[in-house]
Formats: sequence, structure tokens, C-alpha cells
Amino acid sequence: MGRPCESNDMDGNTVESISLFMNFGFPLLLLMLAYFIGSMIERKHFRNIRRREEDNVGFPVVSFDTMPDDWNASESTLVAGSIVVSLDYFKRVIAGLRALVGGRVKTYEPLLDRARREALLRMTEAAREQGYDAVFNVRLETSRLANARGDGKGIAGVEMLAFGTAVKFASRFASRP
Amino acid sequence: MRFNPKLPREGVNVSDTHPLVEAGTLVVGLTAIFIVIALALVFIIEIALYFVPVEKEAEFFEDWLPEDLVTVSPRDERLQKTQLLVDRLAFHWQDAPYEFRVEIDDAPVANAMALPGGLIIVTEGLLDQVESENELAFVLGHELGHFKNRDHLRALGRGIVLTLFFSVATGSDVSGLSIKVTDLALRGFSREQESEADEFALALVYTHYGHVDEAWRLFQRWDEEDDSLLDVVSYLSTHPAADDRIEELEEQADRERWPVEGPTTALEWRSE
Repeated sequence: MGRPCESNDMDGNTVESISLFMNFGFPLLLLMLAYFIGSMIERKHFRNIRRREEDNVGFPVVSFDTMPDDWNASESTLVAGSIVVSLDYFKRVIAGLRALVGGRVKTYEPLLDRARREALLRMTEAAREQGYDAVFNVRLETSRLANARGDGKGIAGVEMLAFGTAVKFASRFASRP
Repeated sequence: MRFNPKLPREGVNVSDTHPLVEAGTLVVGLTAIFIVIALALVFIIEIALYFVPVEKEAEFFEDWLPEDLVTVSPRDERLQKTQLLVDRLAFHWQDAPYEFRVEIDDAPVANAMALPGGLIIVTEGLLDQVESENELAFVLGHELGHFKNRDHLRALGRGIVLTLFFSVATGSDVSGLSIKVTDLALRGFSREQESEADEFALALVYTHYGHVDEAWRLFQRWDEEDDSLLDVVSYLSTHPAADDRIEELEEQADRERWPVEGPTTALEWRSE
């Protein structure tokens, strides 16, 4: 407020430089750090997901809500896989800018893609570990986790839950569907 | 039914735009939009100022003081002398609509402010740094120049309108950033206003003393002390750099053929 005048002395300049750094340099530094760490983790996670998807590609995971007729099941159980993902600072800031004008929130897309595929993989792996042969009626659900502030603003993360009915086939030697 | 195992297809659910490209597009595009908006707001404030006559403003803010001001005793010699100097300078500004009031803030950083209603605040840091009455007179004249051009209301209006606009238009996360960006865009105007105020101050000092000796000596001292100034800082600063101001003032004095030497007046509280 008002017109600050003669602040060009030594103290003024030091203060100005520090305030410039705090206002612009520091957030920029954080942004860059968040971007590099975030994209490193993301690449690593995608590599891991692709490898596990290849391992599990032959295992039937389908979304039919009734069991296919030719599945001769002897045993069934509920299997679930879930993951909680959170945003990095870079993604959040860019999404915030995007929210001003609208459109595809492109920085969130890989995050949610990772979450869906990871949840499905965890569910599939849970089914295989217990010796089941296939999963049907697979559903995906998402819920928001509020952050610790508890004021309803801000989100700590998103939970992606995949669940379905895992079945064992009557004969291990019966032809796979 | 045959089960046909396949790997999920990549690139269906994820845009292949690189995140940095996305970030760059948004930052550049939004900055452009914000600058346009900022210019529009400045224009609106100019129009609003036209409709708020200066007498109304003087009347409305007559007894107003900022709440966080830590002032000195009303019997302080420096306060009385500064007030006197302002009154004497303002005498040369024909039909000044304000009843100028001076207050001293206890901040150690040298600074002076022009606030609505003819309130001039100088810091103790400034009073410690000025070595003659002529130096102080220039600084006070500079603030009077802000009143003359009504810059104090512009700054106030811009601050309020920008904060309001961006906290409504954007979420809390981004509004701070938007305000900063727009504020930066407006710094150019701000420096222009300072130059105009400097010009007014020099004319006032000349009319009062009959010469402009020591008018910009405070800036000269700052300029000598100041060796670490980065160009980018001066570009982003609200005020022009000290050496630019000195240059402009020298040019003005030269153009108007004002004597740059003359008897200077000592500050009484200094000599004790």
C-alpha cells in the first residue's frame, strides 16, 4: 500500500534480492526438483508395471459380472488390490494453471494410469499367489483421501481399488477358457 | 469364448504431450493473459481516479493512520522539523488540496511513503542517512510529487483490485503466483511514476532553495555503496536504479539551467 520510496540503499537491495529469491527463485527451485524426482519415479514405476503386465498377460482378468459359462469353477473368493497415489508439487502447480483455462489435465493422466494398472496388477498377483486361475467381475473404484489438515481443502491422495471374484477351475488339467 | 491375452495399449489414457511442453504452454499463455488483464485493470483505475476528486479523498482520509505504524513522540524535534519542511515545500505547490501530515516510522531501512489523505511517512533509517536539509527536502518533494500525480491512490487501487480479481478468478494455490506475475508486469509503470515524482521534487527543491545542490546526493552515496546490484534486480525493482535517477536529475537541472551549486542548509538535529 502507498508508494514506498527510497529503498535503494544497501539494505534495500539485499532485502529485495532475498524477497525475489523467496518469491520466485525458491518456488522455481522446488518446482524443478519436484519435476526431476517425480518424473524419475514415474519412469521407474512404468517400467516396473510393464514388466509385471508381461508376467501376468496369460492370466484371465475380465469385467463380466457373471462367470463365463465355460469356466468350470470349484472355488471362489474376493480378491482386491489397492494403491494410494499422491501428486508432486510440479503436477499440482501445472494442473492449477490448467484449471484456469480448462482442458485435459495432462499431468494427472499418467499418475492415474499408473494407479489403475498398479491396482489391477496387485489384485491379479493376489489371486495368483493364492492359487486361483482367473478373476471375473473386476471393478475399479476411486476415493479421495483428505489431508491431515482436516479442513476439507486439499487432497492427500487418491486411492485406486481394484477388486473382483477370483475362481479356481475344477480340474487343473481342464482346458483353459 | 476364447480368452485372448493382450498387453494394455500404451498412450490411450495418457496424453503424449511432454509435461514440460504443457508447463511451458500454460506459463507463457497465462502470462500473456495476465498482462492483458493487468493493463485493463490499470486502465480501469485511471478511469476510477478521474471520478474520485482529490478533495473527496483528502476529506475521507483526513485522520487516518496505518494501524501498524510505530511512530515517535509528537514532541520529537525531527518530526517537527520535517513537518515544517514539508509545509514550506508544499507552499510552493499552488493550491495543494491536502493538509500534509508527517509521521516517523521506527523502521531501520531508509524509506518514505505517500499514503492517502496527504500522509507522508518517513522512516528513522532515512532520517539517519540524510546529511543536509536539501537531501531531505528532495525526498519529501518526491513524495509530494506522488500526491501531485495521485500515484498513492493508483498503488492502493491496483493492490486491492488485483488481489480481489485473482482471488476470485483463481484458486488459492495459484492466486498468489498470479498476483506476483501481474505485479511484476506493472513494475514498469511504477518506475515511470517514480521518475515523474523525481522531476516534480527537483522543481520544488529549486523553487525553494534557488539551486539544486545536494538534491540527489543521497542517491550518489547509495550508488557508491551499491556494487552487488544485479541488472535483473533493477529491472524487477519498483524504483529506477540510483545511477539512472541521478542521470535523469542531472539532465533536468542542465536543461532548466538550474544552478547545481549553492548554500546548503544543515539539519539542526544533526549538528548536535
